[in-house]
Amino acid sequence: MITRHWRRRHNLYKLVGSRCRSCGRVFYPYSQRCIYCGSREVEQARLEGDARLVSYSIVYSVSDEAKYEAPVILGMVDIGGVKVIAELTDVSPGEVEAGMSLEPVLRRVTVNGESGLIYYAVKFRPRLGGSGSGGD
Amino acid sequence: MVGIIGVGMTRINRHYGKGLRELALEAASSAVEDAGVNGVDFIVVASSLSYKQVGQLDLAGHLASYLGYRGSRGIAVESGEASGLAGLMVAYGLLASGVADKVLLVGVDKLTEYNSGETYSHLEGLYDVEGDGFYNIGHAGIAGILMRLYMNEYGVDRLTMANWPALMHANAKVNPYAMLRFAITPEKAASAMPLADPITLMDSYPIGDGAAALVLARGDSGDVEVSRVESSTGYPSPAHRDDPLFIESLRDAVARIGLSREDLEKIDVMEIHDSFTITAYMILETLGLSDKGRAPRDVAEGRYNGGGAPVLNPSGGLKARGHPIGATGVYQLAELTLQLRGEFPGVRVDGAKRGLAISLNGFGSSSYVALLTAR
Amino acid sequence: MPDSRPEHKAGIHGWGAYIPRYRLPLKLIASTWGWAEDQYKGLNVVQKAIAGPDEDSTTMGYEAALNAIKRAGIDPAEIGAVFFGTESKPYAVKPSATIIAEALGITPITMATDLEFACRAASEAMRTSIGLVSSGMLKYTLVIGSDTAQAQPGDVLEFTAASGAAAFIIGPSEGAAAVFEGSYTYVTDTPDFWRRSLQPYPRHGEGFTGEPAYFHHIISSVRGLLEELGLKPSDFDYAIFHQPNGKFPVRVGLRLGFSMEQIEPGLVTPEIGNTYNASALLGLARVLDKAKPGERILVAPFGSGAGSDAYSIVVTDRVEEKKGRAPTVEEYIGRGVEVDYGFYLRYRGKIKLMPR
Repeated sequence: MITRHWRRRHNLYKLVGSRCRSCGRVFYPYSQRCIYCGSREVEQARLEGDARLVSYSIVYSVSDEAKYEAPVILGMVDIGGVKVIAELTDVSPGEVEAGMSLEPVLRRVTVNGESGLIYYAVKFRPRLGGSGSGGD
Repeated sequence: MVGIIGVGMTRINRHYGKGLRELALEAASSAVEDAGVNGVDFIVVASSLSYKQVGQLDLAGHLASYLGYRGSRGIAVESGEASGLAGLMVAYGLLASGVADKVLLVGVDKLTEYNSGETYSHLEGLYDVEGDGFYNIGHAGIAGILMRLYMNEYGVDRLTMANWPALMHANAKVNPYAMLRFAITPEKAASAMPLADPITLMDSYPIGDGAAALVLARGDSGDVEVSRVESSTGYPSPAHRDDPLFIESLRDAVARIGLSREDLEKIDVMEIHDSFTITAYMILETLGLSDKGRAPRDVAEGRYNGGGAPVLNPSGGLKARGHPIGATGVYQLAELTLQLRGEFPGVRVDGAKRGLAISLNGFGSSSYVALLTAR
Repeated sequence: MPDSRPEHKAGIHGWGAYIPRYRLPLKLIASTWGWAEDQYKGLNVVQKAIAGPDEDSTTMGYEAALNAIKRAGIDPAEIGAVFFGTESKPYAVKPSATIIAEALGITPITMATDLEFACRAASEAMRTSIGLVSSGMLKYTLVIGSDTAQAQPGDVLEFTAASGAAAFIIGPSEGAAAVFEGSYTYVTDTPDFWRRSLQPYPRHGEGFTGEPAYFHHIISSVRGLLEELGLKPSDFDYAIFHQPNGKFPVRVGLRLGFSMEQIEPGLVTPEIGNTYNASALLGLARVLDKAKPGERILVAPFGSGAGSDAYSIVVTDRVEEKKGRAPTVEEYIGRGVEVDYGFYLRYRGKIKLMPR
């Protein structure tokens, strides 16, 4: 896990996915081959743009590592037309609803005990100030 | 030609008193006895979560002696929740090619060696650990997302969704090998404890251990023939699909067998991969047996328990018979074999001639389909 | 303004804030631990901001820095140094600055380090940055102050120890939203507040943190700066001080001859508690959110142990274009949701789960 997270830090910190130069599709995470057409002509592409919650689940049956954070609110998020599954944060079960406007933030995802590494990655939170301010 | 000449199963349960070896031995002994053979020349072991829970590698090598077959050829197959049917594909290939004459296929898995919090962490490995599985998805988080998506997309309420677990429990109640042998109402399933809202405890497979085994033989011996086994790999995540509820790898595997929707409707009995309530509906709608958004109502109207369409999961399915991850596909095959022989000790599909097993990993990273025919 | 001072060559190109979402009312701490109401009423703090379970000083510092970069409107790769000032490092050994630098796209050609000087490490980084920029050695630096301040449950410190972050892009005075006019630092060995290695919570000298520490050092640095620049309190539009509570910054400001009108706009602690390395710097960010071109700001952070820096900053007309590019301090303050003491204990990891 130490080296896996390190190898993938750009994906995880900056939502770097793939854009296929052959078929034009964009997907997450980064892969050297296009998962749609198999082409090798894939470039790194940062996922950007408006993010919206497609669907979500409030996960109570979590692993021991996630006990501090339970329930975990897991979302399927559409960001700029690309769907990703990621954790939501700064939202309570009573506040979350499909269709809500989101934005990416950097958060802890897994902490390897008291002495191990802290693994950071992008999560999504409700966009600050609703759909207007709080952005670019 | 490949035939199934013997089957054996253990009841799925929290087998605290039995390890991987004891479970495998129990199922394998029953299958070999049922087949009435003295020996086999190849052992195929299908297992998945045991690599994390038990930690034993080279399972075929380490199990062979304890099963009484030291010296036979052996190989282990791991394809997550679809390991059982993946094992069948390997066994089929060995027999059809003439490499082996008799193969013992043992599906075995342990899920109860650790407390639930650790087991959920192991089960996260069924999903893409470089993608979705990097997050704290639990064992049911993605299922929860898909279930809510389905309910919102098609305007199906929670209670209607619960028709599936109610039917599965009714079937499992009379299956002596099932883990959850009690009936529940849709109301009770819908209002049970949430695991990954909207998924409740009663929408999910239970955590249990088990083993099932088959003896397969080349030639025309045995009452049941393995007509075809096919598979396809799919996207790492349902998020990669345009329609996350449509399982393209399952469509492709079925197409490889050459089964049209009309052909599927003529199948007598199916054992499908209902890991969660939503998985069952996704499978039915991907196959075209139910129209999109209609599967829960079709189930409620009795279409899949004698109402004209194939009878689904008379065993009780993953939901209620149980789902010892890597062993499940072998259970499906053993149950279908007994159905085609007219010997299934639970809900029986009289006169069944053709049975179909469908097994997925996750929501279709792999899909396997096996067609069995009574001889 | 005499331009011989190197400070004139450096300015603030972007500022950014971050305050987590959760607020713990002080009355819940008092009722849990049996404090009399008077114990905290005099602090002039109503509630404190606490970080969520997936936050730490690194994630908070990241967001403040992202906001500062947005306001600066620069390419992150142009940043030549990332300074992370905190006393709540997620790692005792391993920099947070590199994590933030990586996530923001600043790596690999950059300096990056974590600094520790109780609550003024980030302020020291700001003065260091002035030197690096005015010498021409670097074009831009990123200064981050971020803390998830810890206090032993039941200690009086618990009323104010809060979470927040502030960040600044320091660069050449040309194009800056505000330009430095002068800076001054005053430090002594004064053990008013400390945390030993491997200890989870700090200890402090109660009243000793006041006169010999907070007041003496801030008064000394501010008087030193005013003397060097030949300025008097009335020459400033805003005066911002380190804010361990809502009372001290007002008292020190009034003693130095500043008015409530100058002090109030930069006060954040009454609404969110003491954010340690971010405390005075969040005050500066809040003032920049509303400052007008030509206005002069005094900011004086303090850190136990002990030391204080004083800066004089003059706002330029470039401030206006930057204001709307990121959320304001006010917006972060306004998003608070109240939580209870049990939530606080669990979310801040004060309940230890059994190691497996």
